[in-house]
Amino acid sequence: MFVSIVSYGLAVGAVYALIGITYNVMFSASRVFSFTAGMLGMLGGVLGALFINKMGMNAVLAFMLVLACGAAMGIVTEILTVRPVLKSIEQHLYVLSTLAFALMIQQVTAIEYNTEPQPFPVLFPIDPNSWLGIVDQKFWLPVLACIVTILGLEFLYRRTLIGRAFLAIAEDSYAARALGLPETRLRMASYAIAGVIGALAGFTGAQMLLAFIGNQAILNFYGFVPVALGGMGSNRGAVIGGIALGLFQQAANFLVGGIFASVAVFAVFIVVLLLRPEGLAGAATARRV
Amino acid sequence: MTDAASPITTAKAPAGLLGRLEGSWSWIALGLVGLLLPLLDDSYFGVIAQRAYIYWILSAGLNLVVGYAGQIAIGWVAMLTLGAYTTAALAAGRVGGVEWHPYLALIAGGAMGAVFGVIVGLPALRLRTFYFAMTTLGFATIVTQVALAWKDVTGGGVGTPGPVFPWPFEPGWGFYYFCFILAALATWITANIGSSRYGRALVAIRDAEVAAEASGIAKPKLLILVFLLAGGLGGIAGGLFSSLQSYITPDAFTFEMSVLFFIGILIGGRGSILGPLLGTIILTVLPEFAAPLVQWSTFLYAALLLVIVLVIPGGIADLLDYKNRRPLEQHREIVPRPELLSRVLDANGEPSAIRLTGIALHFGGVRAIDGLDLEIRSGEVHGLIGPNGSGKTTTLNVISGYYRPNTGTMKLNSADLPFDKPHARAHYRIARTFQTPRLVGAASVLENVMIGGTVRGHGTFAESMLSLPRHHRDEKQLKDAAMQALATVGLESLANARADRLQHSELRFMEIARGLMLRPAFLLLDEPAAGLSAEEIRRLGALIKAISREGTGVLLVEHHADLIFDICDRVTVLNLGKVLAAGTPAEIRSHREVVSAYLGA
Amino acid sequence: MPTSAPRSRTHEPLLQVSGLSAGYGKIGVLSGVDLTIGAGEVVALLGPNGAGKSTLLKAISGLLPRTGRITFGGQDMSKADPGETVRAGLVHVVEGHRVFTQLSVIDNVMLAGYGLSREKRAVQVEEALAYFPDIAAKRNDRAVTLSGGQQQMLAVAQGLVRRPRLLMLDEPSAGLSPVLVDRVLAAVARLREGGTAVLLVEQLIEKALAAADRVYALARGSIVLEASTDEDDLPNRLERAYFGQDAHAPLES
Repeated sequence: MFVSIVSYGLAVGAVYALIGITYNVMFSASRVFSFTAGMLGMLGGVLGALFINKMGMNAVLAFMLVLACGAAMGIVTEILTVRPVLKSIEQHLYVLSTLAFALMIQQVTAIEYNTEPQPFPVLFPIDPNSWLGIVDQKFWLPVLACIVTILGLEFLYRRTLIGRAFLAIAEDSYAARALGLPETRLRMASYAIAGVIGALAGFTGAQMLLAFIGNQAILNFYGFVPVALGGMGSNRGAVIGGIALGLFQQAANFLVGGIFASVAVFAVFIVVLLLRPEGLAGAATARRV
Repeated sequence: MTDAASPITTAKAPAGLLGRLEGSWSWIALGLVGLLLPLLDDSYFGVIAQRAYIYWILSAGLNLVVGYAGQIAIGWVAMLTLGAYTTAALAAGRVGGVEWHPYLALIAGGAMGAVFGVIVGLPALRLRTFYFAMTTLGFATIVTQVALAWKDVTGGGVGTPGPVFPWPFEPGWGFYYFCFILAALATWITANIGSSRYGRALVAIRDAEVAAEASGIAKPKLLILVFLLAGGLGGIAGGLFSSLQSYITPDAFTFEMSVLFFIGILIGGRGSILGPLLGTIILTVLPEFAAPLVQWSTFLYAALLLVIVLVIPGGIADLLDYKNRRPLEQHREIVPRPELLSRVLDANGEPSAIRLTGIALHFGGVRAIDGLDLEIRSGEVHGLIGPNGSGKTTTLNVISGYYRPNTGTMKLNSADLPFDKPHARAHYRIARTFQTPRLVGAASVLENVMIGGTVRGHGTFAESMLSLPRHHRDEKQLKDAAMQALATVGLESLANARADRLQHSELRFMEIARGLMLRPAFLLLDEPAAGLSAEEIRRLGALIKAISREGTGVLLVEHHADLIFDICDRVTVLNLGKVLAAGTPAEIRSHREVVSAYLGA
Repeated sequence: MPTSAPRSRTHEPLLQVSGLSAGYGKIGVLSGVDLTIGAGEVVALLGPNGAGKSTLLKAISGLLPRTGRITFGGQDMSKADPGETVRAGLVHVVEGHRVFTQLSVIDNVMLAGYGLSREKRAVQVEEALAYFPDIAAKRNDRAVTLSGGQQQMLAVAQGLVRRPRLLMLDEPSAGLSPVLVDRVLAAVARLREGGTAVLLVEQLIEKALAAADRVYALARGSIVLEASTDEDDLPNRLERAYFGQDAHAPLES
């Protein structure tokens, strides 16, 4: 039982962490939390199942195509729901515009694909009796995706100029604009990256979570919990929080039942935020007057 | 029509039966349709109408939360679920083995909704919009999961039968009238709140939170009352819903319903009652008549939401608001009438003073204020000047309670003036204006000014809800006082215009009028002359001076040196958070260091 | 004034601004500002607080929406965004030494060359750093470890990476010790020798007048005085202009 709690918990936790990073990448570039994070995760699974199972595509090609769709979704999100709102006076309207867009995509998926969970194909033909099969790929795939994403982002932010430009905009977008950095294009690029990461989370987690439109709401919430608790914009917080959340949830599932786990997560989330609205590791709020 | 459509966005037209009729004909028409619908004797229409009433009972409460207070509570369907299961389970005797009378069970459902309305609402007091939206969504998910799992009470996935209400509201047209009456009641109650000082305070929290605080509006208390009411209405709607469905399962309470409620309100327009009512009816009824589109309905709602957010954030109510599309007079002049001040202010003659001693405030490593002494005396204009970043506005924010200094004391006469607590300043009659005018753009100028007097009302929330006499007295008194304040600053002709149609300079005077509503003992002005023409500055100066001569102590933070030297009795010059010089204008003008630091350049 | 040739005898007009108005939302700050800067000229922009100096710089560099006409090096820049003005060689160093504190010094400077080819960027980054040896020595430290004065130098260095034809400096001396102020202003002098024009917003009036060829004074959102720095009695005339008593006198053209 312990092994299955840990393997399942780590895997789910890695998916939550990736969705958390998706939130963060969008937030850093625009100061906007977008409801499309869960949608990207949902689409990763649904599109993967659609391409491989229904269209008979090769897994590698399908994978590339899913990531490309994620990037495209990210760009559309930026153009359609974020850019117009950033220009308006009431910037918190982004909550509604991103929610509306995510709902539209979810409904199209429900109608054109399926409202019930669909199986997701096994990606690698690994003999379960060989040493490679000791841990099922549905468990190590999301963890691997999470590690690759973190290393990739580290490389991007530390080794490339465009990555530093992202950091610059996140820290002080006004100064970045004054330097002549192309703010809009950089913001669009971060939304594309977020799209890729979200779709990656959904694709690699789908053998476990299935291709299911209901994953949208679940990933939206459980992907946001580590961000809120770990401090917004902090990828380290998202990873630690996501893994911890996954492990806790699975342990509670096995020991006292799933409903208790959900209620407990929700209660902890609310209580922590009421006590420390900036998160466990966040900084104080900005000036208002 | 406009009056009814947006009680908060337009002041009531001058009374007179005809005027009142014109304002309420849409309500009368809606009421007649509802009353006479049973004459059609078509039970299909009846069921659709009952569903619309039930949804509206919930949405009426939610409208105060979303449309007025601007809190993005998306998962409010949870209240419907809670009310439905509470009513159904109690009436069926699933709890404690006793079968409750259906009407009592319905009341219990409302109470359950009210309690959880507050619990779900609590995070709104501290969290940013997105966080709050997320918590309400999370709560809705949890409630459905619990309903699925708690089989003893809810019947789990199999479900539980809803209650059947006995005479006089037995199933059929009896139940129809029950829903109709409750919907009418919900409309009346929320409309009363919407047009009271509480409704204006909610809108102020939404659009101008810091100004609401400065006017003494205690956000937590007010929001809790509103969440209580909205939760209760949601719970009652749930109880009715369980009876209408006759059998409820967790599947009946979808997230799409939440979206429907929410979008109905936004389509209708924020800060309106009639708009959201029409929005809810349209969204409930439309899918019935467009059967092929039913599976696309949620998609269309979502698309509609996106269009509304991006294109007409004001909703239907704004489209109906033809009155505010009439052009305002082009060449307007603000002519204050300081001679009216004696009626607006209390000249109680007792001299008092705010004294700051040794105030220091650091933001991280930056010393914003570094050991400041300052005294603002009643009857004087005290100028506070200095270069950018010298700590002027920070000082003003310390006095008005937005910042807590690291060290130092602040006294009003001999008593301590508490740090923090900006909303407590109104009770000390300390008013302020803001560098960037903070206003409710969609409300009239008059209503904006009335917000300033919120703490002077006496009626309770419940009294306003039920439109009792004290509520009417408050309204009349606040309105009279606001008209007087507007006349004093020279804006009375614009009292009924939407505030966001005013010019910048007019907004500055409007903020002063809002401050005057507190009959302030002290008035703190943050760069009131910025963006004004030379002539307007002259008039502003005369007005400020006259205010001080009525006994009010004025603190004037300003860049315009000419205004400062013109009207101030004393001037303090700040540099790098310290007092560089203090004295009369003449002394300051001849101060070499000041000339180089402040005039600097 | 705007119709006549610029006062500077030896300078070709580089930046010409006419009828410029700008503000924040409904708050109009500038109304109808006219201003000319010649190639290689150092111009000080003075004025009391709140007069609109920073707003004017932001309006010219495209950080704020504005109306009016802006020509730079013969190109129409009335609608240009900051990216375009920077590429044209009109660089604005904003006030408050807003460098990116989480990035290293060298990364801060490199970002200013975003969009240049790798080789070109490397060369120009070194050129810019050469102006400030203290900063260059700390190239691998994070900017958060720098003092306020060093951050200001870093901000100016960022502004130099593009080899600007006109550098607009907004209060480069704010919060700096006198020694550091002199060092920043020394950089301005060297820029002039190299043929770069500078528009300098400065609190320290004597230092600004010493560094500049010409001066504009802004009060209440309009230019109230324009003079060459070698004219007599300038400080007193400036003071009178701020208080609105000298509004008409010096605009002879």
